[in-house]
Amino acid sequence: MNAVLEAFQMVATTEVAIAILASAVYGMVIGALPGLTATMATALLVPVTFYLSPIAAIATIITSSAMAIFSGDIPGALMRIPGTPASAAYTDEAYAMTRKGQAEVALGAALWFSAIGGIVGTVALMIMAPALAEVALSFSTYEYFWLSFLGLMCATLVARSSPIKAIAAALLGLLVTCIGIENPGGVPRFTFGMTDLLGGIEPLPALVGVFAVSEIMRAMTSAPPPPIPHRPLGSILAGQWALTRRYNKQMWRGNIVGVLIGALPGAGADMAAWIAYANSKRFSKEPEKFGTGHPEGLVESGAANNSALAGGWVPATLFGIPGDTITAIAIGVLYMKGLNPGPTLFTEKASSMYALYIVFIIANILMIPLGIVMIRLSRHVLRAPRAAAMPLILLLCAVGAFAIGNNPFAVVLVAVFGVIGYVMERNGYPVAALVLGIVMGTMVEQTFVTSLIKSDGALLPFFERPVSAGLAALTIAALAWPVLVWMLRRLRRAEPAR
Amino acid sequence: MHLSDRVTGLFLVVLGALAFWGGSLLPAVPGQDVGPAAFPMVIGGGLVLCGALIALGIGRSFEAPEAADDAPPPGLAARIGGWAAFLPPALLIFYVLVSERLGFLPTAALMLLATARALGASWRLAAGVALLAPLAVHLAFAKLLRVPLPDGVLPAPW
Repeated sequence: MNAVLEAFQMVATTEVAIAILASAVYGMVIGALPGLTATMATALLVPVTFYLSPIAAIATIITSSAMAIFSGDIPGALMRIPGTPASAAYTDEAYAMTRKGQAEVALGAALWFSAIGGIVGTVALMIMAPALAEVALSFSTYEYFWLSFLGLMCATLVARSSPIKAIAAALLGLLVTCIGIENPGGVPRFTFGMTDLLGGIEPLPALVGVFAVSEIMRAMTSAPPPPIPHRPLGSILAGQWALTRRYNKQMWRGNIVGVLIGALPGAGADMAAWIAYANSKRFSKEPEKFGTGHPEGLVESGAANNSALAGGWVPATLFGIPGDTITAIAIGVLYMKGLNPGPTLFTEKASSMYALYIVFIIANILMIPLGIVMIRLSRHVLRAPRAAAMPLILLLCAVGAFAIGNNPFAVVLVAVFGVIGYVMERNGYPVAALVLGIVMGTMVEQTFVTSLIKSDGALLPFFERPVSAGLAALTIAALAWPVLVWMLRRLRRAEPAR
Repeated sequence: MHLSDRVTGLFLVVLGALAFWGGSLLPAVPGQDVGPAAFPMVIGGGLVLCGALIALGIGRSFEAPEAADDAPPPGLAARIGGWAAFLPPALLIFYVLVSERLGFLPTAALMLLATARALGASWRLAAGVALLAPLAVHLAFAKLLRVPLPDGVLPAPW
C-alpha cells in the first residue's frame, strides 16, 4: 500500500502534469498527420526525455504513443488516409461511415473504444506483469536466450511480408549489434578502425533513421494527401454507449486480442488491429455489412490497437524484450533512467511500476476530452501542409540525434539508417524486424554465449530445463510455421489440378 | 529504389559471407571455446542462407503486392525521379559537415528551404519555414535543454 501512495506522489508533481499534457497534444498532432507514425513521435521525444525525471520521461512516452494511436484514426475516417499504420486495418470502414454521413459516429467510436481499450490493456498489464515476474525470477540464461530468440521469430511471423525476408532483416539487425567493443572477448569487432564505432551503434539513432528519415524520404517521391473536405460534425460521444452495449462481446474480444498480440514480442498495435478486424468479420452475424460503413469491426479493432499498446509493456518491463516498436524505444529510456527492465523491477522499484500504471490510466482518460477537441480542430490541423511539416521533422532528427550524446556522428548514423530503412521497405524487407534485431542483439548474444560457456559448448542443456524446452518448442514451431503454410498451399493448389 | 530479389538476395549472401569471414578472424578468448567470433559467424551463416533463398525467389508468395502510386509526385521528384528520396539523408550529412563552421541557424535554414522546396512548397511557405523553424528549434534545444548547438557565423540572439 505504501508503494501505491508513493506512486501517487511521484505522479502528482507539476513536472509530470506538464509532461503528460504537452506530450498528449504532441502525440495527438503527430498521430493525426498522415505519414507521421506513433513510433516516430516516440523516437523524436527521446532526446527531450533526457532532461526529465524518470517518471516524467516514461509519462511522455506512454501518453504521446496512446494519443498518436487514437488520432491516427482521424485522417483515416475523414480522408481515407490512416494517420498511423495501426489505423490502416479499418480505414476503409471508417471512411465508408463518413460517406454515409456518420463521421461523428466513426470518430466517436474510434475515441471511445480507444480509451476503453487502453484502460483494459493497462489493467491486464497490472495483473499479468507481477504474476509473470514471479515466474521470471527463476529464469536462467537459457530461458532468456529462447525468449529473446522467440521474440525475433514472432516479429518475422507477423510481418506482412515474406518470412525469409523478415528473418534476413532481423539478422541484419543482429549484425549491426556485433559492431563495437562490447562483446564476449572485449575486442573491437567490425569497427574498421573508426573510433566512433568502438562504442557500438546506439539503437536510438538507428530508430530515428529507420522510422523518421525513411518516412521523409518516402514523402519526397509520393504525392501529398488531398485537401480535406469540410463536413459539419454532430455530437461525438452521443450513441457510443448504445454501441458499447450492442457490441459488448466484440469490444472485449478486441481488448483481449489486443493485449495478447501486444504482449507477444515484436507484434504491436497495427498487427492487433488487423487481426481484430479479421476476427470481427469472421465471427460477425452480419459479415456482409463489413466494408459498407458498419461500426462492428471499428469497435473491435479500435479497442485492440490501444490495448495492444499497454500489452507491449509486459515483456518490455519484465524481460527487456520489446512488445512492439514503441516499447523498443521505451526500453532504452527505462535503462537510461535507472529503471532497468527485469523481474526485480516489480519488487525493488514497485512504486515506479505503480506510477507507470497510473500514468497509463490518466493518459487514457485524458484522451477523451483532448480527443474531442482534436476531432473538432482536425480540419485545421490536417490542413498543415506536408511541405512544412516534413522539413521540420528532418531538422528535429538532426538536432535530436546530436542531443543524445552531443556527437555529430549520431547524425551520420541517422542518415545511414534512413537510407537502409528506405531501401529495405521498398524491397519488401520489414523494418520492424530490423529494429527488433538491433534492440535485442546484445541480449541474444550475451545469453547465447553465456549459455554456451556454461554448457561447455554442448547444445543439449538449451533444451533440458522445462521452461526453456517449452520456449524452444515454441521458437521452432514459429520457424516451421511458414514452411507448413507453404506446403499446405501447394497441396491445396495441386488438388483441383487433378 | 526498387531492386530485384536477385540483387538484394545476392547482396545478403555477400554480406553474410563477409561477416562470417570477418568473425572467424577475431582473436579467441584464451582457455575458452566460445568467444567474440561465435555470434557473427552464426549470423553470417544465416544471412548467406536467407540471401540464397531470397535470390531463388522462395517465399515470395507471402508478400503483399505493392500498391501502385499513380498520382504525380511533388516538386523535385517530378524532375529527377526516385533519386529525390535521397535528398533528406544528403542534407543530414551536409548538416554534419558544415554546421560547425557555418553555425546552426544558417545550416538549418538551408536544410529546411531545400526540403520544403523539394516537397513542392511555394517560395513563400519555404522561406517562412526556413526562417522561423530554426529559431524555434534553437530556443527549445539550446536554450531550454542546453544542447550545445554550434554558433558559427550567426549566433542566436539569446
